[in-house]
Amino acid sequence: MDFSLDEEQQLIVATFRRFADEARKLGQHADESDDSGAGAARTALAKAADLGVGIDAIPEAAGGMLSGAYSHTIRALRGLELGRGCAGVAALLESNVEPALAAARWASPEVAAALHGALAGGALATTTHDALGRITITTAASGDLTLDGTLGPVPALADAAHIVISARDAAGPVVILAPTSAFTITPVFPSGWRAARWARLDAKAVRLPAAAVLTRDPAAQHELLSWYKLSLAARAIGVADFAMQCSAGYSQERVQFNQPIGSFESLARMQDQSETATLAGRFLVLRAAAALDAGSPDAAELCSRARDFAAGVVRRASIDAVQIYGGYGFVRDFPVEKLMRDARAFEVLAGDEALTRVLARRQDAATYAGAPAPAARS
Amino acid sequence: MDIFQDSPILQGVKAITHAFAEQVIRPAAARHDAEESMPWDIMEQAANIGMAQTALIDTMSADGPPEAQAAAQGADAPPGKKKRRYGRQLAAVGSEELAWGCAGIMLAIGGSGLAASPVARMGTDAQKKLFKDCLTGKDEHGHVKVAAMALSEPATGSDISALKTTGVKDGDHWVLNGSKQWITNGKSAAVFVVWAQCDPSLGRGGVRGFVVPRGTPGLIPGRKEIKLGIRASETAQVILEDCRVPVEWMLGSSVPAGAQEGLSGTKKMLDATRPVVAAQAVGIAQAAYEHVLRRVQSSSLHGTPMAGHQHLAFALAEMEMEISASRLLVHRAAWMADQDLENVKWASMAKAHAARTAQEVTTRAMAMLGEEALEPGHPVEKWYRDAKIYDIFEGTGQIQRRIVAKELLGLNAT
Ligand SMILES: Cc1cc2nc3c(=O)[nH]c(=O)nc-3n(C[C@H](O)[C@H](O)[C@H](O)COP(=O)(O)OP(=O)(O)OC[C@H]3O[C@@H](n4cnc5c(N)ncnc54)[C@H](O)[C@@H]3O)c2cc1C
Repeated sequence: MDFSLDEEQQLIVATFRRFADEARKLGQHADESDDSGAGAARTALAKAADLGVGIDAIPEAAGGMLSGAYSHTIRALRGLELGRGCAGVAALLESNVEPALAAARWASPEVAAALHGALAGGALATTTHDALGRITITTAASGDLTLDGTLGPVPALADAAHIVISARDAAGPVVILAPTSAFTITPVFPSGWRAARWARLDAKAVRLPAAAVLTRDPAAQHELLSWYKLSLAARAIGVADFAMQCSAGYSQERVQFNQPIGSFESLARMQDQSETATLAGRFLVLRAAAALDAGSPDAAELCSRARDFAAGVVRRASIDAVQIYGGYGFVRDFPVEKLMRDARAFEVLAGDEALTRVLARRQDAATYAGAPAPAARS
Repeated sequence: MDIFQDSPILQGVKAITHAFAEQVIRPAAARHDAEESMPWDIMEQAANIGMAQTALIDTMSADGPPEAQAAAQGADAPPGKKKRRYGRQLAAVGSEELAWGCAGIMLAIGGSGLAASPVARMGTDAQKKLFKDCLTGKDEHGHVKVAAMALSEPATGSDISALKTTGVKDGDHWVLNGSKQWITNGKSAAVFVVWAQCDPSLGRGGVRGFVVPRGTPGLIPGRKEIKLGIRASETAQVILEDCRVPVEWMLGSSVPAGAQEGLSGTKKMLDATRPVVAAQAVGIAQAAYEHVLRRVQSSSLHGTPMAGHQHLAFALAEMEMEISASRLLVHRAAWMADQDLENVKWASMAKAHAARTAQEVTTRAMAMLGEEALEPGHPVEKWYRDAKIYDIFEGTGQIQRRIVAKELLGLNAT
């Protein structure tokens, strides 16, 4: 299997690696500022627009940059780099992709054109998945929907004009596209991804027309979530990679007991394990992206596994990086403290992937049956 | 052995500190975390009900009030039976409960104990009096007074024999120069216990402690740190620039030579304080576990009770197992300290185990709660950030394992 990157992919990686350094500074600024990250977010979006971020999933005809099929591999490569910069900025920049792709796939041509036009004009959209059933959706005979409950915090929602909601109603899975103006949106400033312009969504008997439903096809919901989870996984691995880079450098510089701390076997093993996991996570992300691009039947499965694995990798890598920095790891002057705060959203957004996987296996035992177990030795 | 808290004294302390944590600390925790502010009002309330900064000194000094000594020595022994000592166990039980409320506020209330401990163990009566006098009354802002223990430095935390701060004798004074890093209460302290290398030829034994009151020329409280967690507890640099202190302020004998009066003399002190610090990590883990337990008991997932999912139920079982194991280690180590038994291995095992448990439980709890746990001010997210410090300060997780391994093998493996 060939994991080497072609020329275009190498260019993407190089471009976003450079951009990531800038994003990191913006992320730090958002961390320290008390404007809820708004200033940093505006700057990041403006700078990224030059690179086509935000409109890469919008067809050229609608003013975007997409000609032909969307490449999840390119997006994953970009995510791996953006994660190395700042998880909050990255979340903001990746936010338009799912709504743009979902509209192109499942919305009526008019709805899709309107959304794409708005996004091409600089608007922001976001996506959320209600894994824990926090929102109640009632569907009238006319097909109109009534929504009650609270969702979020959702990244980018504070500035987004549109939201894709993946949820369930009595009939099963449902994916909705709605204007955020239909809901009460309360900006919040969590401790991680502080540049991401988070907000909470409250729905009190919010009525949406039947046309707000993009799809009720369970496979379509899986597909939407696959895009989302793969992107999360790529960015998580990017954050883990940066955490490892920081700790590798620091553990060579810092001396205790007359030797660089990196030469203590316990720390060497700790770093080595995280590096192996980060590498494995990268392969899994790229493999899942290739499956998505090829439309393979196992794509959703691989994306879910990639997200599950990557969430664990970034959790471990960020906690270990703080540990390696010792007291400096616990204070804001050094970069790893932020990484530990940023790591949590990767595991928490769109539900606990471990639980999702367990439930899926239970529900669909046949898919996971595999070959029969070998007979016992007589 | 009273590791199961069967004594009325331990039960009483647990009940009182739990009530204080629930009614006073918990409601204020999110605000002090967000504002990164010291909870001065709560510290005052704590002092008013006997959790005074000077309590530790009192219990360890011959001239301490009889009630304080009685509590530490074990006043509940029936006539004719050997008295049981409870000092460390009491501290462990109380610390767990207060940290259950908020570890940052707990450290604001109890952080001075870290400085009081070497004074109580090594200080002369005059030094104890000086230390206590510094902590009596209110400071210029009307706040209760706090103390700081200034040992760590920018270039050295784990390897304390490599301290760069120097103490040079000049007549009947010592002149201290250097800088101290990450010092709890470092900005606000009314009195500091500063450690400096006073005789490099003695290595660790040459490192000596000094009681230095605030305002002593040359002692400059530095910048306050912005931190990942325990934000209600202040952490700051302390700078020493030609800080002249009278010889009588050097802890123990004023003649620097006896290793037992130097840093090596603090070993026992750490063995006594580590179980108490570990107990705080247990308190955080317990808090997160209870939060998520209630959620699993009371919620459903798309129509099925959460409690019916083995995936979640076993996660709770795992948490309960680890927390209980940590707590047992803590109480065993504390009980040994109270009996004057060599507890170094147990104290380090308790600290390392409890720190890991707190990190694992809080991380898992967040994943179980989902996005809700990202809400600003969410207690579980705060506990996740608070938990990490227990693997760093008072000896990192690696240093604890190094101590345990040395107990097993007799050498420092690298
Ligand atoms: C919030 C906070 C409050 C604090 N309060 C105080 C206080 O009041 N007073 C005070 O004096 N100090 C205080 N400290 C400092 C604290 O005790 C030190 O940060 C801690 O001892 C670790 O030292 P270090 O930060 O220098 O890390 P280092 O010693 O540089 O360690 C870095 C990494 O190397 C590892 N390492 C070091 N040696 C070894 C080895 N032999 N084998 C394997 N791994 C090793 C460590 O485990 C760590 O992972 C505080 C720190 C913080 C963050």
